[in-house]
Amino acid sequence: MSPRVRVALFGAAALAVLPALFHVLPHLPRFGDHPSPYGDAVTASAPVARQTQNIVTALNFDYRGFDTLGEEFILLCAVTGVTVLLRGARGEETSARPGQVDGRPVLPPSESVTLISRVLGVMVLVFGLSTSLHATSTPGGGFQGGVVIASGFLLVLLGEGYRGWRGVIRSEFMDGLEAFGAMLFAVCGFAGLCVGMPFMTNVLPLGTAGSVWAGGLMLVINAGVTCAVGGGFAVLFLEFLEETRVDPGAEG
Amino acid sequence: MLIDVLLLMLAVTGTGVALSRQPVRQVIALGANGLVLTLLFMALQAPDVAFAQIVVGTAAVPMLFLAVLASMKMDRRPEGRRE
Repeated sequence: MSPRVRVALFGAAALAVLPALFHVLPHLPRFGDHPSPYGDAVTASAPVARQTQNIVTALNFDYRGFDTLGEEFILLCAVTGVTVLLRGARGEETSARPGQVDGRPVLPPSESVTLISRVLGVMVLVFGLSTSLHATSTPGGGFQGGVVIASGFLLVLLGEGYRGWRGVIRSEFMDGLEAFGAMLFAVCGFAGLCVGMPFMTNVLPLGTAGSVWAGGLMLVINAGVTCAVGGGFAVLFLEFLEETRVDPGAEG
Repeated sequence: MLIDVLLLMLAVTGTGVALSRQPVRQVIALGANGLVLTLLFMALQAPDVAFAQIVVGTAAVPMLFLAVLASMKMDRRPEGRRE
């Protein structure tokens, strides 16, 4: 399709949709307006009924925990799919040679990059753990903490190089971590069903709002999500970065 | 005011992503777009989404794209047959 035909096609489609757009636009809710009463109801009830200050965590891991379990398994499926497609010969060895792009030298990390990565890496990991552990009392939670931890692993790659990174981030451990996290979440959900209670009933003591230990079962689910997301993203990075190594058969 | 400025920056950086023709530049533009989106989420008092956005939008997704681009550009011919 030539660019001219494409633009003509876009113009025709835009003309067809434009009247409908102008018809709908004035009836949109105002910016920042939330007409559904559900949000207000949860915001009012969660601090008392669930002893949780972070309403988002209460929604994700308790009120609508069933939806989050589905999302958790979407992530698991996506990472499994990437692993099935990309796990192969290339880059499996931790000492695998980096691939060469024409006209671009392969340089070892400079000392300053190593220093900054070592300092920042520790800080990012601690921040990720803190974000995750304070899920019920401050903004953040298992998913956010997990991705921050996984991005801290990337700083290890930046500072220590591929070999050092592969030495720390073991593929088997991260696979296990992800599967364990997803399983912990599912067990928390279905354990209630086995003894005749509703799905994901919050049976653990709730504690008092504001404490790290507030939230009951939410804390266990949060730990599971942290493991699953941290491990899942680490596996994802691992599989993609293995692709930047040379094939073992192509060693000259 | 702050939100207006951020929305404008979001439009500018988003246009930048659409208009950059070179894949590597597009990845960097995407990262800039993600960073502005993070600031907008902060301004709209949604720190939870902002946390996820800053890591996924400015670190994870660009990194995966860069890994793919590097892998595609690599010379995969065996050593002996290189010209």
